[in-house]
Formats: sequence, C-alpha cells, structure tokens
Amino acid sequence: MFIVDDILFQPFVSILDAIHTLAVTEMYDIEGIQNELKENQLLFELGERSEAEYTERKAELESELETAELAHDQLDNKNIQIRQ
Amino acid sequence: MTDDALYVYGVIENENLDLDIEGVGGANRAYTVDYQSLSAVVSDIDTVEPERSDENIERHDEVLQTILESNGGRTIVPMSFGMGFKNERTLKNVLRNARPVFTRTLREIDGMVELGLKVLTEEGATVDPEELTAEVEERFDRISVNVVENELFSDRLVINRSYLVERENRDAFDEAVGEFEAAHEELLVQYTGPWAPYNFVDIEITAQK
Repeated sequence: MFIVDDILFQPFVSILDAIHTLAVTEMYDIEGIQNELKENQLLFELGERSEAEYTERKAELESELETAELAHDQLDNKNIQIRQ
Repeated sequence: MTDDALYVYGVIENENLDLDIEGVGGANRAYTVDYQSLSAVVSDIDTVEPERSDENIERHDEVLQTILESNGGRTIVPMSFGMGFKNERTLKNVLRNARPVFTRTLREIDGMVELGLKVLTEEGATVDPEELTAEVEERFDRISVNVVENELFSDRLVINRSYLVERENRDAFDEAVGEFEAAHEELLVQYTGPWAPYNFVDIEITAQK
C-alpha cells in the first residue's frame, strides 16, 4: 500500500485522515471524469452519440467534475466531515 | 500603442495582418503587433484571463487555422489557450525576451502543419494494440517529420497521435489515411487538421503577463 504509507509518513496525519484522503480521491476521480468528457466529445464528433445524448452526458459530467473539484479543495483545506 | 489588454493566438514572421474574424472574448478582429522580425497575432480583450469556454477555445483554434491556411499557408507558433497580456508594452517585452526562441521555433516548423489521427474500436470489440500500432507506424511515420503519442483517454481508443507533416506531403498523408480506413472498416478513424503545430512547440510564457 504505497499510497497509505506515503500519506502516513507525513507528520500529524492520523490513520483516519489517511483513509479519508484515499476515499475522497477514489470517489471523486477528477482525471477519470475529464477523460469521460473527452470520450463523450470524441464519440459525438464521430457520430456515434447524438447531439442530445452528448449534451446531456456533458452536463452530467461537468456537474460531477465541479463536485469532485470542490471535494478535493475541501480536502486540501481539511473541511470535509466524515459521517458515520 | 494601445493600453488595452491583448489576447495572443500565436506568433508569425513579421507581417501586417488585420482580419475581420470572430475572436476570443467576443472580439471581431484579429491583427498583428510587431516586434522586429516577429508579429504576434492578437485581439483586443477586456480581461487577461478569458473564460475557458467551448466557444472561446473554438475561436482560438479558428483564428490560428485561418492564419495557417490563408495566403498560400503561413507558419505560426501557436500559443496555448488563455494568453492574455495587460497591454501592448508587456506583450512587446515578452516578444523581445523570447525572440531567439520564437525565431528558432519558426525555423523548425517552417512549412509544416499538424495532423491528428485517432483510431477507436467499435463498442465491445477488441483489437491487438501492438499489431495496430506497428501498422500505423509503417504507414504514417515515413510521410511525417515527427510524431507525438497522446493520451489514450478512452478504453476504446487504440491510437491517438499527432503528426508534424510538410505541407507538400499533405496529399500523401490524406491518401495514406484513406487506405488505412479502407483496410479497417471494423475501426472508427478520426482524422483532423491541419492544425497549428501545438504538440511540436514547447514555449511557456509564465511571467510578465
């Protein structure tokens, strides 16, 4: 578990923080969403996706991206609360 | 000399241009600002940080393509999207400081354009990526000056390459793409360009904006 080890090496970071960081990173995969946006664009350009499908998917992905970026920002500022 | 903010699309060899064209940030004109042997292609803009919207990105590309393709074809060093400068003075300072780099790059890409090739599988289909890559290299490397492999951002994307091609080899490249498509009806091929050679210039302007 390279990533966990890596995070735990930082001073004053608890295991809970480390798990939390991993969970947020996994849940809000910015790069994955950006890739899906590019794929959506490409499939539209190739005529495999209709304009309506493209527009709908694009809006969904942009909204997901906004949420993911917000989650990462809050993680950086340690503003995210864990709910049991 | 204007004191308004300027948006820069790219840099060409000194030439006086003034085009009626839709530009970034709602501009309706693109023109040149000169510094010695160089001319920057610019539009007036009201912010040094234009919004990264689809419309603005499209206009950035369209202005570059117009410069690239008009008047028998020009060589242009493209800027990446978002290069706004406070005023003409700061832009000229950058041109002065970076003149050797721009001059060298203009020489390196003289008479060349960028072409893009993406190859995808049909949904659910598989292909041997190594075999296909070897075939693509065999068909296209010999008629290009340079090639860059871009990110495979989709599971269905097998090839995503940008080629630097001499203008005189454009027809040969078009023909090679046609032959490749005919030999692979099971694949989806996206052939784009000509583009200004974004993937073959490496100039980053970060200071003095």
